[in-house]
Amino acid sequence: MADEHNAEWYENTFKRMIYWVGGVLIAGTAITYAIDKWGVAEKFGLLTAVIFGLTVATIKAATVIVIFMHLKWDWKFKTISLTLISTVLFFIGMMWLTVGSEVKTYESNDGKPGRIDNTWKHGEHAIGINKPAEIEPPKE
Amino acid sequence: METTTQPDVAHEDHHDSHDDHGHDNQHFLTKYVFSSDHKVIGIQYGITSLVFLLVGFLLIMAMRWQIAKPGEPLPIMGAVLEHVYAHNNAGEPVFKDGVMSSDAYNQFGAMHGTIMVFLAVVPLGFAAFGNYVVPLQIGAPDMCFPRVNMASFWSFFLGCVVMTVSFFIPGGAAQAGWTSYSPLASVIPTDGQSFWLIGMILLITSSLLGAVNFIATIIQLRAPGMTWFRMPFFVWAQFVTAFLLLLAFPPLEAAGIMQLMDRVADTSFFLPSGVFDTGSTPMAVSGGGSPLLWQHLFWFLGHPEVYVLILPAIGMVAEILCNSARRPLWGYKVMVAALFVLGFLSFIVWAHHMYLTGMSAKVATFFQTTTMIISIPSVILLTCLFMTLWKGSIRFNPASMFALAFLPMFGIGGLTGLPLGFSFTDLHLHDSYYVIAHFHYVVAPGTIFAMFAGIYFWFPKMTGRKMNEYWGKVHFWGSLIFMNIIFMPMFIQGFAGLSRRMSDGGATYSLVQNPDVTSGALSELIIRLNEYITLGAFGMLLIQVVFIVNFFHSIRNGEKVENDNPVEATTLDWQTPTPPPHGNFTKEPEVHGEPYAYSVPGADKDYIPQTDPNRPKTA
Amino acid sequence: MEIPYNSTARPDTGLYNGKVGIWLFLASEVMLFGALFSAYVLLRVGAEPGNWSMGLMSKEVGAFNTLILIASSATIVLAWVSLKLKDWNGYRKWKIATVVFASMFLIVKWGYEWPAKFTHYDVTFVDDKAAETVFAEVLNKDSYNDECQKHHKEIWSARYNIDGKDWGSVDTKDKPLDGYIVGYYTENENGEREHHKVGQAFGIYFWSHAFAWRHDKRNDGRTTGAKRDTFREKGVVAVEIEPAHGTWDKHTDKHALVTDRRYAKAGDGQASDAGGHGHAITIETSQISRVSSYEPAHSTFFAVYYTLTGLHALHVFGGILVMLYHLMPISRRMYESDPDRFTNRIEITGLFWHFVDLVWIFLFPILYLF
Repeated sequence: MADEHNAEWYENTFKRMIYWVGGVLIAGTAITYAIDKWGVAEKFGLLTAVIFGLTVATIKAATVIVIFMHLKWDWKFKTISLTLISTVLFFIGMMWLTVGSEVKTYESNDGKPGRIDNTWKHGEHAIGINKPAEIEPPKE
Repeated sequence: METTTQPDVAHEDHHDSHDDHGHDNQHFLTKYVFSSDHKVIGIQYGITSLVFLLVGFLLIMAMRWQIAKPGEPLPIMGAVLEHVYAHNNAGEPVFKDGVMSSDAYNQFGAMHGTIMVFLAVVPLGFAAFGNYVVPLQIGAPDMCFPRVNMASFWSFFLGCVVMTVSFFIPGGAAQAGWTSYSPLASVIPTDGQSFWLIGMILLITSSLLGAVNFIATIIQLRAPGMTWFRMPFFVWAQFVTAFLLLLAFPPLEAAGIMQLMDRVADTSFFLPSGVFDTGSTPMAVSGGGSPLLWQHLFWFLGHPEVYVLILPAIGMVAEILCNSARRPLWGYKVMVAALFVLGFLSFIVWAHHMYLTGMSAKVATFFQTTTMIISIPSVILLTCLFMTLWKGSIRFNPASMFALAFLPMFGIGGLTGLPLGFSFTDLHLHDSYYVIAHFHYVVAPGTIFAMFAGIYFWFPKMTGRKMNEYWGKVHFWGSLIFMNIIFMPMFIQGFAGLSRRMSDGGATYSLVQNPDVTSGALSELIIRLNEYITLGAFGMLLIQVVFIVNFFHSIRNGEKVENDNPVEATTLDWQTPTPPPHGNFTKEPEVHGEPYAYSVPGADKDYIPQTDPNRPKTA
Repeated sequence: MEIPYNSTARPDTGLYNGKVGIWLFLASEVMLFGALFSAYVLLRVGAEPGNWSMGLMSKEVGAFNTLILIASSATIVLAWVSLKLKDWNGYRKWKIATVVFASMFLIVKWGYEWPAKFTHYDVTFVDDKAAETVFAEVLNKDSYNDECQKHHKEIWSARYNIDGKDWGSVDTKDKPLDGYIVGYYTENENGEREHHKVGQAFGIYFWSHAFAWRHDKRNDGRTTGAKRDTFREKGVVAVEIEPAHGTWDKHTDKHALVTDRRYAKAGDGQASDAGGHGHAITIETSQISRVSSYEPAHSTFFAVYYTLTGLHALHVFGGILVMLYHLMPISRRMYESDPDRFTNRIEITGLFWHFVDLVWIFLFPILYLF
């Protein structure tokens, strides 16, 4: 830890913080689990559920990074937080670019996830509404 | 930091690590084989990668024979390979009667690429020179984590062993190309591909450990006074390279794990639904995977990898040019900035390798734009290197000549890349010999020339003896001429449409073979060029013999250096004893000035070492 | 010269060597798991219905493992604080707690979750008629109650409708029968059928089922490119499957847990479906299109699941080894000779461990819940 603290700080302040964070993490897990059991995906759609789940996970992750990995007191490492955030933005941007622009969204695709792929027709396990035409097997 | 005058004081306390520090009378094994000294590890990397450079070269020699004389038995080696080399899955020799079959051609092709990139050039430029030179140049006693460094080398060595062994298992080595595109690589029934993947995972682990070590060393172990902008440019180049390795390699590791799962656990990461291999029913896999996923992950590594190949080379060339031109590096800070821009941009250009995968126009436009932008920092670097020569009094020796030749060769390689960066011209040139010529100009006469320059330059520091200058120049001129004989005609072949992966060098498509076909056939001239290229390649092989003999002869019998700084360099690596002892410096170095104080007005010599506190006011 | 800044921070960077190293290592780890996460996104968005069977996961087990790992993350930071307070015994206590939690995580994962999936099967049929025959038989047996129907509906819904939409339009032949392989028939040279029981191991429920068997009709007649196929290797002509859940034994009011009890009714060791009292039903191999346990080859989702959790579990395993090393006498000696340096080691071990915890925090919702 870059910023030095005395024993008293560790004994009182930091230990209390650890228990608090532990509580937050457990509560977060419990909330996600309860919400899922309650059926958020069926009631509000999958996208809402995913966004909710990932938001809670991000909050949990942030507390772990800031307190448990004590980045809060590593003053030299403040840049890390910036780097982390820009990495996340970069990741989202790249996924939007490569996946997003290639795949039709849920709405434009009959409410089914995934795209209707005409390059590789579904074979033996074709099912349901996405069932494609029979495949012409390649000649021997 | 203790100096060697008070050894082993802290040693008793620090039992746990660097047990070997300060002990000169070590066992041979710990001193030269299982050593944690950065210089020994650097030399180990160097020797291993030079051996694999030769192996990769010999592989392509066999392929060149097959391209020039399709269907004719290989001279000399054919009979040997028929009996020694692995059989294919049907149990037949792949070198039947000494003739290279397409199986063998594919194996050699895939392994030539893999060996040259991952086992030869990257370890030579990044690991060997980086390990040897970087701690010396920043004035550190060793790498930050010596035992991690050792683990890095042995992991690399294990990877090399796995790759080599794969040639001799039933079915032979990997044959899906060095890019290992799925679905082919996922379903190909020979075990060589699995060996390739395991080997790659080991190599990636090795370079991750190396990269962490390099960055930590450069951040933490700079000598007193060695501020960021007093670091030699080579250190900067290694710093950025290490970041590229650190961040770009893990996605390939993930992809490798997934492809290994596809092969051994029959998953379908890269296998779409209803994929056929042979027969009339689809393969018995769950399907639903994406072949493009492999390409994205592979090229996410693949493009930064190009800069991993080239940046250490540029760093070395900068060192050598400044030293031999007796001029400070022109635009030092601009070059450093260009390095970082290059490093960042290299992460967002990867899909220009994938224009033909049917990506949407939006995506193609994005990657086309970034690809054009990335040429700007490359040109800045090259221009600065050229400007460094301005008004210099150049000392011509093998090291500086190789470094000078690097500039135009890398320039040709870079500029011929522009047509490949545009999606519309790439449609024609993709997968043709033009691509081969382009990237070989960057890597072979580019990077490998810089490596030769580095070897000639630092050889006196490593051994205390110089390499023979006359034979060094013979080696240089021979290499330069034959390199161009080999790769220049490939541009013409590529324009004519010769595809890069044909095991008969396109003979099937020649006008000679198909007199009726006029459209799409290759003219006799284009096919004939194959023979000239192969002749050039044999000349290249002969010229390298000169280098090999010179290298080994000079280790024992070369001219001894007269002092510790025979090249009159300013940087810290030349302010050490020759060869540097364990711990590198006799006393802790202190840095007082810029790295390239050559020809400073008012100084009594034409160079001022970084350790010299007596500097003219202007410097 | 000794390498500087191993136990004290370098003044201008404010960091000691190990900390720089571990953060860089974690950066590369982020890229490693990041690549796998983006593979997850790409494969999930592009998944065809039926290939993303994530609803089959046990959320309770996942939540339990999350809690364990969170606890271990808290205990390791407490261990480090104890060292900062020069309290070796406190350190020892918290460190042992961490190792115990981590081991529990692995035991749950490798000892229960994975084997339970490797013994749990998913059967699809060649045509609708074959499927309807089997389901009619399943539903008619008096030993199957409504729970069995309900369970299968859940399974179909989980497999085909990650979006929570209607699954009714799926062909019957593609609606999988969910269960366990408890026995099989082979044909001897006289054309007579021989019955075989599937083994019983350790007296544990799931070990008594067939383990990671596989069959796919598309392998028939192939000479090259055929995948591993247990039915072909063993020459299976018919297979006995006990449908999952709802197989309540009315007579003893207990789950049919182990093979002996399962076959006890018939008395002669033969399959008991003839009398209508047993649990297992016999299905001809010729009627089966595909049989797969929930192994990596089952579907894209399980491929991602095993790769991600497997890689994560390897990290946990590596962490346990390091933490055990830090509990050995050699570490005690190091602590006594250079307490600062040892404290730093615990700190960077902790950083690694928190990262492992962090990965799991994201794995839990994306693999188990949503």
